[in-house]
Amino acid sequence: MMHFIKTYSWLLVPIFLLVSSNNVKVFDKTNQYAISINHPAEKTPVNVLIYQVLDKNGLPIEYYMDVPSVICLEKVCKVIPVRIFWNNLGEYQKYKLEKGATLEKYKADLFETQDYIKLQNILSDTNSPFKEVYYDEVLTVPKLEEDVDAVSGATALELDEEDTVPGAALGCYTLWHWANGEIVQKIKNLTGKVLSENQLAKALIDKNRGYYFIGINELENRKDFRSQFVNIIIGEVVKEELLLKSTFNYLEKLPIEVYFKATKKIFIKGEKAQKLAVIRSLQYSKYKPQKSYLDELSNQMSSLKSFQEVSIFLDLMQSKNQNSKIVIKNSMPLLDADFIISRRVYWFLKGQEISNPQKEKLQQFYQKYKNSL
Amino acid sequence: MKRRDFFRKGATAAVAVGAIPLIATSCAGPDDMVYDRKNDKWYHLGTGKTGVNSRKKTNEYDVAVIGGGAAGICAAVAAARNGSKTVLIQDRSCLGGNASSEIRVHLNGVNNIKGKAERETGIIEELLLHNRFENEQEAFPVFDHVMYDFVVREPNLTLMLNTQAIEAIMDGDKIKSALCWQATTETMFTINAPVYIDCSGDGLLAATSGATYRTGREGKKEFNEKFAPDEPDGWQMGATLLMSSKDMGKPMKYSPPSYAVKYTHEGGHKRRKFAGFQDGIWWIEIGSDDDIIADAEKNRHTLMAYLHGVWDYIKNSGKFPEAENLALDWVGSLPGRRESRRFIGDYIVSEKDMTEHKHFDDAVAFGGWSLDEHNPGGILDIKERPSFFHYHFKEVYQFPFRSLYSKNVSNLMFAGRNVSQTHIALSSSRIMATCALQGQAVGTAATLCNKYNVLPREIYKKHIKELQEQLMRDDVFIPKQIANDPKDLAKKAITIFGATTSSGDAMNLINGISRDIYGEINHWKSDGLSAQIQVEWESPIEISSIEIKCDTNVKRNIMMRKDSKNDDLYGNSVPKEMLKALSFEARINGQWKSLGEITDNRTRLIKHKFDTVKTTAIKVKMTETYGAESVKLFEIRCYA
Repeated sequence: MMHFIKTYSWLLVPIFLLVSSNNVKVFDKTNQYAISINHPAEKTPVNVLIYQVLDKNGLPIEYYMDVPSVICLEKVCKVIPVRIFWNNLGEYQKYKLEKGATLEKYKADLFETQDYIKLQNILSDTNSPFKEVYYDEVLTVPKLEEDVDAVSGATALELDEEDTVPGAALGCYTLWHWANGEIVQKIKNLTGKVLSENQLAKALIDKNRGYYFIGINELENRKDFRSQFVNIIIGEVVKEELLLKSTFNYLEKLPIEVYFKATKKIFIKGEKAQKLAVIRSLQYSKYKPQKSYLDELSNQMSSLKSFQEVSIFLDLMQSKNQNSKIVIKNSMPLLDADFIISRRVYWFLKGQEISNPQKEKLQQFYQKYKNSL
Repeated sequence: MKRRDFFRKGATAAVAVGAIPLIATSCAGPDDMVYDRKNDKWYHLGTGKTGVNSRKKTNEYDVAVIGGGAAGICAAVAAARNGSKTVLIQDRSCLGGNASSEIRVHLNGVNNIKGKAERETGIIEELLLHNRFENEQEAFPVFDHVMYDFVVREPNLTLMLNTQAIEAIMDGDKIKSALCWQATTETMFTINAPVYIDCSGDGLLAATSGATYRTGREGKKEFNEKFAPDEPDGWQMGATLLMSSKDMGKPMKYSPPSYAVKYTHEGGHKRRKFAGFQDGIWWIEIGSDDDIIADAEKNRHTLMAYLHGVWDYIKNSGKFPEAENLALDWVGSLPGRRESRRFIGDYIVSEKDMTEHKHFDDAVAFGGWSLDEHNPGGILDIKERPSFFHYHFKEVYQFPFRSLYSKNVSNLMFAGRNVSQTHIALSSSRIMATCALQGQAVGTAATLCNKYNVLPREIYKKHIKELQEQLMRDDVFIPKQIANDPKDLAKKAITIFGATTSSGDAMNLINGISRDIYGEINHWKSDGLSAQIQVEWESPIEISSIEIKCDTNVKRNIMMRKDSKNDDLYGNSVPKEMLKALSFEARINGQWKSLGEITDNRTRLIKHKFDTVKTTAIKVKMTETYGAESVKLFEIRCYA
């Protein structure tokens, strides 16, 4: 059903969807990719062609794909080809119809101007109710008054007027999943794949963090762990918590020396979330940190502000760096920190081999707080 | 002597001597069957003894629950678990009421609000989860036994099947005893209890107690109900007789029985659809504008006649070629009832309470099924639509405790379709999982009645907060009520944190809201497995139990369906989100000590008891779910 990759004379419907003249893009090249997509209205993956439009620098700037307006099992719906456009992040942009073509609603009513506008709004809404519902539910929309308490009558899906084009829920559903389904990640991958090194470096520092994820994912795919990228990544991840997960997925694949160097830098420069991420990574890493490395990290203990940071840092020391004189020395001042932090430090030190003066200080702490330990 | 007067005196004597004296009366009634056995000429060949067998028993309980449907099961389990010696009296041979294998209605609840469920938690969820573990094959007769297991495993709960509560014996405005006839043993039980809960639907015991009730439809004016008829009338929604069929893999013939009514569907309203007919047709339904209980047997026969008539139409009219290989493999003989008596409480819930989402200080349950008022004429009026879907809710509504106890019988409560509400309100709240929440509320309230030696009205006046807190602790969701149990020591924690967090915040676990709702996140979710949370107190506390509410995805339905639907809205197996394996540790003198582990959790509310420890911190380590990659929790509580 997806074989209508023909040359259409395209007409923008409605006219407001036209790209404004002051935003004209210079297209240099178009790549074509055959990909396989799962669509919730189809039982098996669908093979489709997607077009990647590049600018003169070889940067993907737009994607488009031709899809059927509706997937209709009962063969009673009129199927119109629709061309869907995305940007290079896989974000839906607009749709176009073939010249003279019109979309239809239930009982052969035609789309009116406001219906096209509403469809554009629906497809632009990444959190549309269509995201969560099942194809069967949408099929039952015309049966809104179906009762279901007694037996197995299909549940009527309740969609607000603003969430659907009345009478065309199935079409909205079909197109929403084309526009916002699996294709989004595929486009991101395609964008990453063609980026030059220079473009990748720029992606990592782009204000729109969508490009960071494309960039780091592509670096991981290319197994490119060179310092020119690692340094950029460190600089970015210490600024933004949102980047932690994908960054650590990448960092944990680095060669051992690079990994330890990178994690130390992030630990020193980062805030609470970054410090916690480093400690967790070290705790579960396939690489065994050296004593000197952990000792050096403990020099930063005074920068650990929260109970959670101190607690899991000491967990790490207990499991990988017992009885380190440096860690013990760095821990002692924290006996004067907030009570729950000092209590954690107290119990840590109780399990370490410490000097007599340190024991004395610990004993003083005990005397002071013995009822709250 | 008037019969009721006699009973009053007889019951007094019964309590004193433990037996009810014989009576002689010319009126036909259950009393005759039981007590007048002087003509019984039993000769026991084995022992040579002759005489009359004892067929009279008197039992004492703290709480008596009448009716073993979803509401009654939840009422009885709630009362028993909270410490009351409880009896559950069910007139059928199996539990489940409309959801039993005798009737086979889906145990629906708030199935669909804007495309997602807002599922009931608490005891009813635990029951439905139990079914997902024990009844993977989704067999209705097995569900009967799952419910049976769910009830009889409660140590404080006695189940009496095949037993009907037929008459209340009154002491002033209180029910003193319930006379209950057990058909299988020819025994009349006198059940004495300080609190009675009628969850039987029709409410025979409550009716005989003199509790005021009404039947039919209120007129628009009485409660300013938009969807009520202009003038009051006697119509009640009908009972439905279901069936199911099986694809035999070859053409199957069908000829209707002698009593079938010829059905043509001529002039049938377009809403009378046949979609899903292989699993039964809900509009094979008959109501009444008068005494629907008196009409029950007549209507049962008519429904059987229509059921076969409609199936004959499906099989032999030529209009359903898809039915060629289908054969009936189960036919109901017991119609599932929607409506009869509605007892009057201190408050009558009406349409606007629901559609305008009235806030009740005594809210104890919620609902959200649409205002789904069936055409009272049922299949006898096929020109009319089978149901009026007056209103679809956009969010759940509250249900108040004052509608769950009798206005004039002081120790009588209700749960289910017989509670204090209008006909229009019933059209939504009649759904079984909603009734089950009412059941858990009154079962819990009954225990409080005994604890304080008070009547239900006093629970409303003096102990409603305690009732709500106990319900929320037991995992009932009460819309817009925030749990704040003063005994919960987790609330005193100085910090709670997760080893990893992918969404929400570990501090949400003590915010008193145990689900994500109204667009707000109230959970903590780990980033992968294993996962861990730590609760830290400034000063040492003594605890002996930890209670956790984990995720079971209340936005997706889990009840058993005939079509075994498995999609984003309906699941046909154990929710993958549910936590399966976890362990507990406490920090004692600076050392982490194990408090035990759970390897095979099956409930959303996870309770773990241990010997009292004095501690400053606990850890919960979570290692496995039923399939989800991360763990989501909604609440943690700690108790001394």
